[in-house]
Formats: sequence, structure tokens, C-alpha cells
Amino acid sequence: MRVQRAATPRPSRARARTTSIAAFVVLAALIPTTASATGPQEVEAELPYICTLPSGQLPATVRISADFPERAESGEAFSPTGVTTTVELPAEAVADLTAREAAEVRAATRLAVGVAQNAATATATWRGSAEPVTLPASGPLTLTTKGDVPSVAGRSDGDLTFTAGDLAIDLALGTTDPADTAAADPGSLTVDCSLAEDAPDQGLLATVPVGTGGPGASGPPSPSGSAEPSGSPEDGQGDRPEERRGDRSPKVLENSPGTAADRDVPPCRYDEQHPPTDVSLNAYVTGYANVKKLKSAAYLPPSCVLIEQGLPVMGPPDPEYLIFDTVSYANFHYQEREQTPPFDATFLSFDFAPVKATMVLKQTGPMRIDSRMKMSLIDFTTITDTYVRAPLVLHVLDLEVNGTPLDVGSGCRTETSLVSEDPDPANFPGDHLVLYGRGEQIIGQPATGYLLLSGGTLSGETTIPAFTGCGTDGENLDRLLTASVSGPGNLIKQVQGQTCAIAAPVFPSPTNEGQCTEDLQPYEIPVAEH
Amino acid sequence: MKKNTRRSAIVVCAAASALGLAAGPSSAVPSTVWTVTPSPASFQAVNVGNIVLTATIPMTCTTSNAAGVMNSATGNPGDVADINTMNFGAAGSPCTSVLGNVTTTSVTPWDVVAEDYNASTGVTTGYVGDVTANVTAGACKFTVTGEASATYTNSTGILAVNSVAGELKVSNPVNCGAIVTVNTKPTFKGNYAVKVAGTGVIPTIVGSNP
Repeated sequence: MRVQRAATPRPSRARARTTSIAAFVVLAALIPTTASATGPQEVEAELPYICTLPSGQLPATVRISADFPERAESGEAFSPTGVTTTVELPAEAVADLTAREAAEVRAATRLAVGVAQNAATATATWRGSAEPVTLPASGPLTLTTKGDVPSVAGRSDGDLTFTAGDLAIDLALGTTDPADTAAADPGSLTVDCSLAEDAPDQGLLATVPVGTGGPGASGPPSPSGSAEPSGSPEDGQGDRPEERRGDRSPKVLENSPGTAADRDVPPCRYDEQHPPTDVSLNAYVTGYANVKKLKSAAYLPPSCVLIEQGLPVMGPPDPEYLIFDTVSYANFHYQEREQTPPFDATFLSFDFAPVKATMVLKQTGPMRIDSRMKMSLIDFTTITDTYVRAPLVLHVLDLEVNGTPLDVGSGCRTETSLVSEDPDPANFPGDHLVLYGRGEQIIGQPATGYLLLSGGTLSGETTIPAFTGCGTDGENLDRLLTASVSGPGNLIKQVQGQTCAIAAPVFPSPTNEGQCTEDLQPYEIPVAEH
Repeated sequence: MKKNTRRSAIVVCAAASALGLAAGPSSAVPSTVWTVTPSPASFQAVNVGNIVLTATIPMTCTTSNAAGVMNSATGNPGDVADINTMNFGAAGSPCTSVLGNVTTTSVTPWDVVAEDYNASTGVTTGYVGDVTANVTAGACKFTVTGEASATYTNSTGILAVNSVAGELKVSNPVNCGAIVTVNTKPTFKGNYAVKVAGTGVIPTIVGSNP
């Protein structure tokens, strides 16, 4: 256990070697091996919660369903599957939302799930998202979210328990009534819910016996009187795992900066070093990048992008379409650098060896955004296809195993940019990531899909190149990272928010959808979607 | 398909030339007395169906509303209402285009001007005048001015705006590239349900020539 290890420190060289090996074991264990996991236990838990709404605290019923393996081997990673969270909020909560002139709501849930084995505990966040639903005219509001959840591996024998804890519900509110013109922007709302004291089994969802031992191995967790946090230094990025014996209030531990959805985002402003022009825009973008080898997804937190909007020019003549082409350029903007904020990918493992990689995507050149708008001269349907080409190198800043930092050095990164197959390689040579989005409008109907100005979903697929420059003091971590992470077929899905046009800002008002905050930052903070 | 397009183009031309006449064939002599009931009175108007604005590319507003004061009038044309509030889009339902969301800020008052009245159908023909609106889509900005042909039907209370290319003009386009220029001919089409403010009462307009 990490506690004991901290209490009896070994020579650093020996410890480094041990943790290096541990990292390999843990990363390898992140590839779910269902061969030895026996058939699933289907869990349906109905739990009472208390939710804090603007009008006060209200009771809510939360149903959580998921499939867990019947048992697992020590060191075997698995992910609960089919995870569905259904929240039933009482009619009073609906009144709180309709009081904000909302007519529909899109929900995202963050359920803190305590995972414990023997005396050790950690917390994972199960995220779920839902399609928009119309608020009911009467009665309760039922929100059903689904999503993938982090994998878990228990490396010692003993029962692995999963316990529901705090639940945060992010509600993006919308008005759908076209006659409701005087409505104020209903905006968004995060509803915090905690497990009611009378919850059955204190929120226990499932128990997965780990190891080959007999009944003794699946007995109740045995608290240890000496468990204390190891006291490893925090890295400043937050959400480090903590060991909490018998403590049911979980901490976030997964591949996201836990409170990012609480609108705690880095600033996104033009400044003296980056003065705006009259075509300057800014926007946040966030999403997930799958790491195929790990069967896991890294959450990219809302990142600021500064954009120079291009001027549309007439495209090639076409007998059936009127075509306009626009080339815009963009840069990530984080602390005056052209990169994303650091983001953590944390892979939950046991015997307290959570592995956390802190990474950043750095540009090696400007991002280019090509939009082609085509309007049919027959039925006036318009389509805009947008390709974002971004040369982005993935840097690993920190790697921790069991709270013990592995020194990756200052130059640990992919050998080249993330690489996508370009649809137009002749005109766009070189290594870069390509993301694509399409916007469409049938005349008389609202525009849908991705548009540079109003945002939307961009997606693509990339190859993660081999890593280089990782490790110090003769300990080369390149092969470890390359073997664990690098490879093709990694899907990326990014959601861009509405842009703020600095020279023509649109502030929120009853008659206008907000685009800019008063200090000319993007008004909309998009929510990542799986 | 092309045949249909041509036919509808002819219809539009025919409608335009009808509007160009101060007095249509429906009335023997032009109306000079416009009796609005009730008058004077405040009115509200809310879109019925989507509003489509076009400036080379179409923009759709699922929400639009207007408010102002209506008054009986004399003369031809007759100014029967002032529109003091004219909104396109709202928080939560912006106007959209394939360029992106479009923000339209109306500079009011606009007018509702009556030119012709058909006593058999209760339909007044005229236009929405004094239109001035500032439009933005990202860094692209321009101003639209002019008038938009319209009809008002007493039986339904529907103000149907159906502008013809050339009635509205673009000025001061900035950062819009080739999409919106001073040569662009914007259009404004859509229906509004008009009610006496705060009531469900449909106002009426009757033209006569005593």
C-alpha cells in the first residue's frame, strides 16, 4: 500500500524502477480483458437524493443502472457498462426552471462514485449526457443520461465496492416557444445533489469480488488503523486522488479536471500581446479524445481559441450552386502561449496505483479553418463544410504512478503532430490533425450543425505518433508511452461554443442570444459530448 | 423543377406590378380614409411560422415580434401604424444562417402604410416602411434600409410581409466579403399575428373613399 511505502521510504533509485514497472503494469491493465470476467451483474439502484435548487432543497429520486462483472481477477481492468443515470426532479424543480423562461433542458450528470477495496478508497466520476427534453407542463421532470465511465483494476484480492456519492446535474436551458419573444436568456444551471441519509446501504451500487480467494477474499473491507495519506506533494493541477478510509464524501478522480463544468475555465481575452482586429473572434472548445489502445477517453477541458475570421470570396463557378470560400486562422490561447491548458488523463487502478498523465497540446503552426458554403440555386438549401487543420504536438508534462512522480523530463512529446488523413493532401501537406464539421440550412428552417461563428461539433480521427524525449537519468519512458498510447484510429470529438466577435459584440439580453461577456470573452462555455 | 421556378417568378412579378399601382383593380377609386378599429390603440404582433430574411444567403428567425401604436388615417398612402419595437430572434432562439447566428437590431419607428383595400376580402395592401436594421454575423456587419411589401387581412389579423427584391437595400457592409455587398438585394418574408395589446382582439383596417 502506498501508505506503508511512504512510511518506509526506499532508496530513490530502487523506487523509481519499481514505479516504472508499476506504470507499465497499470497502463497495460487499462486494456479491459473480459476473458476472465464472468457474466455481468445487472445493477438497478434507486436512491433518494437531496438536490439544491434555486428555490431550496428538494428530494429527488436517482436510478442508476449498470452492468458489472460477476467477479474479476486481481490486476484485471474492467469498466462498468451500460451506465444510465435517471434523475427524477419534483414538479417544484420544474417551476424553478420555467421561472427562468426555460422550455427545454439538456442535462449532463457527474456522479461521484466511491470505489473501495479493503481499507483503500478512491473516487471516480461517472459522466453522462442527454438529448434535450421539453419541460413538462405538470408533474416531475425525468432526465436520463448515458455515458462511458473510467475503468477500474483491483490488484489485490478483496471485494471492490462501488458506492454512489454526490451528483451534480448540469442543465443547459433553452426556450423553444417561438412566440415567447420576451424571454430572458434562461442560461444554464448546475444542481448539486447529495445522497439522502436514509439511502439504502449508504448508496452501495455493486460489489465485485477480486481474486481467486474463497469467501474470505470477498469479505467486507477491513479498515486499517494506520492508513494515512502518503503526503505526496500536490502538483497544482488539482483532483489528485486521496485515500480516505471510511470517508463517503468522494473526490473526483478521472480523466477530467473535476470542476471544469462549474464554469471554472481559463480566461479567453485579447490583450496587449494579442490585440484584436476588426475580424477577431474568440471561442471555447472542449471535448474528448479517445485513446484507442487504452479503450479510454481523455477529456480536453474548455480551451480558448482566438480566431481571425476570413472574408468570404466567390468560389468556383457551378451551374447548380452559388459557392463562397472562407479561410480563417486560429490559435489556442493559454497564458500567452499557443496551446491548450494542461489536462489530466487519470486511469483508475488499485493497490493505490492510479496513473495520472498531465498533458498539453501545443501548436507548431497556426490552425487553418477552411469553410465552403454552397447554396443550391434550385431549392436554396445551403451547406457549409468546414475543415480545421491543426498541427498539434502532444506533450506529457507529468506522469504519476501511485502519487509518485516519474520524471518524464522537459521534452516528453510525440515525435510529430497528431496526424490525420487529409482530404486534400496535395494542398495541405505535412502532419496535422484534421477536424470536420458540416452546417446545413433548408430555406425557412433554422441552421443546424457546425458553423465557425456559432459553433457545434467537430470530429476527426488521428494517429498518435511515437513518443520521444521521455524520461531522465537513463530511464527511457519513450517505449512505455509509445507502447501504451501511440497508434492509429483515435477518434476526437470537439464541441466549439458560439464565438464572440470583438468588433461587433452581442451581449445577452431578452432579445439576443448572448455571444460575449461584458469583458469580451466568449459567453458560451460548451459542454463536451461523447 | 425549373418550370416551377419560372412560374413562381412570374407570380412574383405580377404581384409586384399590382403593388406598384396606387389603386388595384379591386377598388374603383383609391381609399383615402383608413379606419382602424380600435384606434388609437397599442398592438402586439408575433410571428406565425418562421421569418426568412435573405441577404444573398437565407437567414431564419423562429422568433420575431413587434409592437407599436395603430391609428386611423386619411390620405393615400395612409400611415396606419407605427412599429416602435421590432425584434428578430430572442435569447435562446437566435436567427440562424449557414454563416452563423445573425443578430438584427432594428432602428425604429417603422411604419405600416396602407395603399389599397379590397372590401370583398377585407385585405389591405401596402408595405412596411421606414425599415432600418443593423445586421451582424460574427465580424460581418451591414445595414438594411427601405420598405417591404405586405398585406393585412382583417379576418385573420395576419400581417403578411413579402418583400420584393429591390425594396430593401444594403449599406455599409463591413467584413462580409462577397456574400453581402452594396449590390445585395435583401428580402424580408414572414407572417405576424396582430392583436390589440394585452387582449386577444384582432384589429381591423377598412379603407374607403367617401
